[in-house]
Amino acid sequence: MVLRGLIVGLFALLAPADLPAEEVRPRSILLLHQSELRGPFYYQIFDAFRAEVEAKPEPPTTIYAESFDLSRFGGDSYDASLRQFLREKYRDKPIDVIVAVGSATLERVLDWRTELWPGIPVVFTLVERADFERLKPSPDVTGSIVQIRLADAITAARAVVPGLNTIALVGGSWDRQVVFQNWKDEIQTAAAGLSVIDIVGLTMDETRNRVAALPDHSAIVYSAIYKDSEGIFYPPVTALSLIAAKANRPIVVASETFLTAGGIGGYVLLPNVLGADAARLALRVLNGEPSSRIPSKLTEAIRPIFNWKQMQRWGVQESDLPQGSEVRFRDATFWEAYLWQALTIAAIILIQTGLISILLHERKKRNDAELEAHQRLSELAHVGRRATAGELSSSIAHELNQPLGAILTNAETAELILKSPSPDLTELKDIVADIRRDDQRASEVIHRMRSFLKRTPFELKDVDLNDIMREAFDFLAVRATSSNVALYFEAFPEALPIKGDAVQLQQVILNLVVNSIEAMSGMPYGRAVVGRTELNGGSSAIVSISDFGPGIPSKRSIDVFDPFFTTKEQGMGIGLSIARTIIQAHKGQIWAENQVEGGAVFRLSLPLALH
Amino acid sequence: MPGTVHVVDDDASFRAAVERRLKKAGYSVATYPSARQLLDRLPDESLPGCLLLDVRIPDLNGPELQDRLSKLGSILPIVFLTGYADVPTAVQAIKAGAEDFLTKPVSSEKLLHAVEQAMARHEASRELKQKTNELGELLATLTPRERQVFDRVVQGKINKEIGRELGATERTIKAHRHQVMEKMKVRSLAELVSIAERAGMLRGGENKPISG
Repeated sequence: MVLRGLIVGLFALLAPADLPAEEVRPRSILLLHQSELRGPFYYQIFDAFRAEVEAKPEPPTTIYAESFDLSRFGGDSYDASLRQFLREKYRDKPIDVIVAVGSATLERVLDWRTELWPGIPVVFTLVERADFERLKPSPDVTGSIVQIRLADAITAARAVVPGLNTIALVGGSWDRQVVFQNWKDEIQTAAAGLSVIDIVGLTMDETRNRVAALPDHSAIVYSAIYKDSEGIFYPPVTALSLIAAKANRPIVVASETFLTAGGIGGYVLLPNVLGADAARLALRVLNGEPSSRIPSKLTEAIRPIFNWKQMQRWGVQESDLPQGSEVRFRDATFWEAYLWQALTIAAIILIQTGLISILLHERKKRNDAELEAHQRLSELAHVGRRATAGELSSSIAHELNQPLGAILTNAETAELILKSPSPDLTELKDIVADIRRDDQRASEVIHRMRSFLKRTPFELKDVDLNDIMREAFDFLAVRATSSNVALYFEAFPEALPIKGDAVQLQQVILNLVVNSIEAMSGMPYGRAVVGRTELNGGSSAIVSISDFGPGIPSKRSIDVFDPFFTTKEQGMGIGLSIARTIIQAHKGQIWAENQVEGGAVFRLSLPLALH
Repeated sequence: MPGTVHVVDDDASFRAAVERRLKKAGYSVATYPSARQLLDRLPDESLPGCLLLDVRIPDLNGPELQDRLSKLGSILPIVFLTGYADVPTAVQAIKAGAEDFLTKPVSSEKLLHAVEQAMARHEASRELKQKTNELGELLATLTPRERQVFDRVVQGKINKEIGRELGATERTIKAHRHQVMEKMKVRSLAELVSIAERAGMLRGGENKPISG
């Protein structure tokens, strides 16, 4: 029992909810136009109507459209054939709502309604107020009533022509007008105080001649021309273009579509608003709202709109226009015209700026890093020099004791002279002068030592490589003698100007020479170190330090410049590593090789300073 | 006891100071800025003198110059004076016969003492050399037979023994012996032995004539 109940319930759930509903049929609208659809005004009404309907795709709605073309065709037999045509055409097409565009269309719909579409609600638009009052449609016929007032057109004319005293009414004969018929009756009141030039119902040529010769302080008020007095049909927009080409005064118009055809503007009828309004009414009716409950009312699709280009032509300021006016076709401002280009350029500049600042930042970082590297190098070099100083203590002692010895001997001699009964003052003077000179020498040695041992920032100066070598070799002479090593320096005969840090370069040379001296300590005789400076092409100088020791271990994997590589029992192995770092900081190179005749040679190349 | 001090030092300032001081002490001074200059005009060794030598000098260093002079037969005593005395150099110099090894700065007292010693050494060496030379000259006047007798007399052999060795009578030997005493200008056997010792004839037992 329970199971069966469940199954039934399940089927009930699975069954489509609307299965028993009626057959689904698209809703349908029959849109009837007074004029042909190719004209911009009627096309815009239709287009806006269709867009509004299609904006609500559910439930689906079919639009049928017919154009009666009543501005060019008419007569009882035409009406009869239309009626016949509609009857046959829509015999099997149920229509849910009729939409009539234009007074003449509405009139025919009302006539044919009982026969063709009994009980079908009717929505209308573009029906002139007078027509509406004349037709008196039943309450289930609803729509927008249009009232275009000549008074509005004159207001607009006053706005565009200061001191207006004349208006020229241009248009087709009044009885052919769709929405302007009432103007004929309005002239008396609306144009009170103004001269009125009647250019209505003439041939196109006459019309164009007349509008070319209008007086000052006048404006043209254009209604619409569909057919001139010679029976030539014109779309009203085309007619306006022809007239505007000749007109010597601004043309006030009453339709949005006339704005681009030469009209300066005015209170214009907006066809897309009319179309959309009609569509909304039709949809309300389709959705079940009884049309009799929807009262017909005056349309709001009339707004003061002006053409900026025409305003420029006739010298009209925006401030002259009626309140709430819209100005169209304004020349685009720079920003409007080139917004994208401007944005793109701005973006590119921004990106470039960003890139540049990133690059600058990177550059600063690199500079900082270089500075730091140099500082590290200075510290490292300093450590290296302290180590080297130990090696050079004999040289230092010798250099210092030389003047000190002279001073002591001189001082004692002086004492001796002073003890004598008649001291030789001339000799004393000489002695004191010598003492003073030797004292200076001693302090120079100390100064040199101090600057060698001082932690100095890395600094590139103009120096002669020969001087640096010579000084270093002088310094090393004692160290070499005490190790019984002969030291030779063969200088390139000309100056070798380079940019370098003298202390650090000497440190490298000292280091290389001391290494060479130590490398030969096991040799019984023939100990010598040869230093040489040479020019290498025009761009660099080469320093070589060769010895006659056992050479560099031949294993290829060994790099003597690697930190902590050492062959000495008490060495840390940082000397050559520091040397390489120093030379690299001078943008130079250092390398080592064994000589064919035995011994090692260390070479370093340094770029010459350019003058 | 004045003499000439030969100063070899590349440091002009020190040369001047030392020259001044030594002159005050009564020595005459000759200075040389390099080893080469000393070798170019070697000092007259017959006059009293000594060398004051810096270890570190151009051309040849101090020990090398010492070696060269020794090979040339120089007996000039050498006082080393150096700015920095490393042990190997000092040991080498002293072994090679240096009189002293001083380091700069040196007090006048030490310097003069060393120079005085060196001068004395030179004086002694010169006298010794002089006497040896004189002995050599006397020895050269002896006939080979007289020399044979001389050698045996200073070895303490009696005439009879010598006669047997040389195949001569005791009387002949006695005559030779008298001749030797005459020529060597001595009156006693003790004096003769002393001469022989100075001439180095007693060392090694070999009968080598002493060269002039």
